[in-house]
Amino acid sequence: MLSRTCSRNVVVGLSLRRALATEATTQTPGQPHENVGRVKKASKPGVSTSVILNRSPILTRPPTPFELAYYSYQARIRRSLHNPFPNDFYFKQGTLTETRFNIEERKRERLAFGPGFLEKEDISEEKRLANIAAVEQLAQQEGEGEELMPRTHAADVQGDVKSLDRRGHRNLYLLLHSVEGGKDVWRFPQGEAEKGLFLHQAAQKELHSACGDNMDAWIVGKTPVGVHKLQNTPSQDPASESEHVVFFFKAHIMAGQVIPTRESIKDFAWLTKEEIGDRVDQHYWDSIKDILSDY
Amino acid sequence: MSSSLIRSTRTRLSLASTPSLARSYAAPNQDVAQGDPKREIIRRVLYPSNIKNRSTPIGTWRPDVGRALQRAIPSVQAHETIERAWLLHKRHIRKAREAEAARKFACMKEAMDVLHDVDLRLYMEANRKDDPRARTREEMEAMKTMKTSEIRALEARIRGLFPRELRIPTDTPSRTGWKYEWKSKKTSTP
Repeated sequence: MLSRTCSRNVVVGLSLRRALATEATTQTPGQPHENVGRVKKASKPGVSTSVILNRSPILTRPPTPFELAYYSYQARIRRSLHNPFPNDFYFKQGTLTETRFNIEERKRERLAFGPGFLEKEDISEEKRLANIAAVEQLAQQEGEGEELMPRTHAADVQGDVKSLDRRGHRNLYLLLHSVEGGKDVWRFPQGEAEKGLFLHQAAQKELHSACGDNMDAWIVGKTPVGVHKLQNTPSQDPASESEHVVFFFKAHIMAGQVIPTRESIKDFAWLTKEEIGDRVDQHYWDSIKDILSDY
Repeated sequence: MSSSLIRSTRTRLSLASTPSLARSYAAPNQDVAQGDPKREIIRRVLYPSNIKNRSTPIGTWRPDVGRALQRAIPSVQAHETIERAWLLHKRHIRKAREAEAARKFACMKEAMDVLHDVDLRLYMEANRKDDPRARTREEMEAMKTMKTSEIRALEARIRGLFPRELRIPTDTPSRTGWKYEWKSKKTSTP
């Protein structure tokens, strides 16, 4: 299809290619084009697409002990420097809410500056206890606040790798245990790209056919994020073109779960980066380890 | 009504013993007994009488500010060391994040280089920028046969933009947890 737009795109593509290859090939710029011509005539490698389906973190990162210490240090400094609180602006004098606030404020001051910092209050001991009892009664009358869910899920405790609630603060990736050509491997959902489709469309189709339609998965754009060359016969000299190339596409899952459809897919798991490294072949791992997020 | 206000003002004025934690507002002005007490309170909040230093917005510190600072900061050298340690910690995090992004970009670049060598047509399509508002001919055809809910689902996902369902991480998980039951509205993929 030789239209004006096509030729314009070719020019743009070539300049983009040169712009991309800034550091790498500066010695022999003419050779890649020759190689392309030669390879195309000889043997075009088969193309597969694969989807790296990522469940982004649900929970915020837990702060390190140093961060916690620094935050409480800064909070102490802020407390010692900021404006005095206008009690009588916010609380009517003598009310129970003011008593409650004073009790809580004393606790906060003691936590920030230590027990010996505050002066003793000039009320009797029984009055102080009566105040505390009254505040507790007020809390009971007002009812309990909303209970927050704990950060560790049951799936964390049990180690259920199929669950999407496990390890809420980490990035999880979908790994399939598939049987193909006699070997069973753990790898990302992968499949041959049909001739007529573009790569991202082929990736979407492959994801649906392998893992079912029960997932709200969104593929990020049309550009592949990584490539893996399948070496069928490692005894050949490394200069020859590999027979099969797999392009990885990044996707996000927002809802749903995997339902394996094909017989060749025995199992699936949602794993963090280290867990993937344990299960996957070394050659595959070298290709994918830089694509995955560390945390 | 004014009499009850006056009574309430009088009772407030008579309570000279403010709690020990009330921080250094001057005692209310005894002359202003007939006016609205709210105005007096607001005036005292905005313009406290013991203005020691103009650095804060209303120009006052807490009464024991020196003692509190002594407790909070161990020493000048310790404070500076803590600041440097914090900046170093942030630098480590920043460098790690930048290195990870550089590795991911290198992977992407290699993938596009290989794609260019393998198939030029696919490479061109992978490079092409999409107009988010445009819809392909196949989608236009498909939209004629789809139900309203499907059309809405199709229109919600705009090409090239992040979907709305991508959640920001929170401190605690939601009550219901992950939504495992999700049904696709679309019958065919575009």
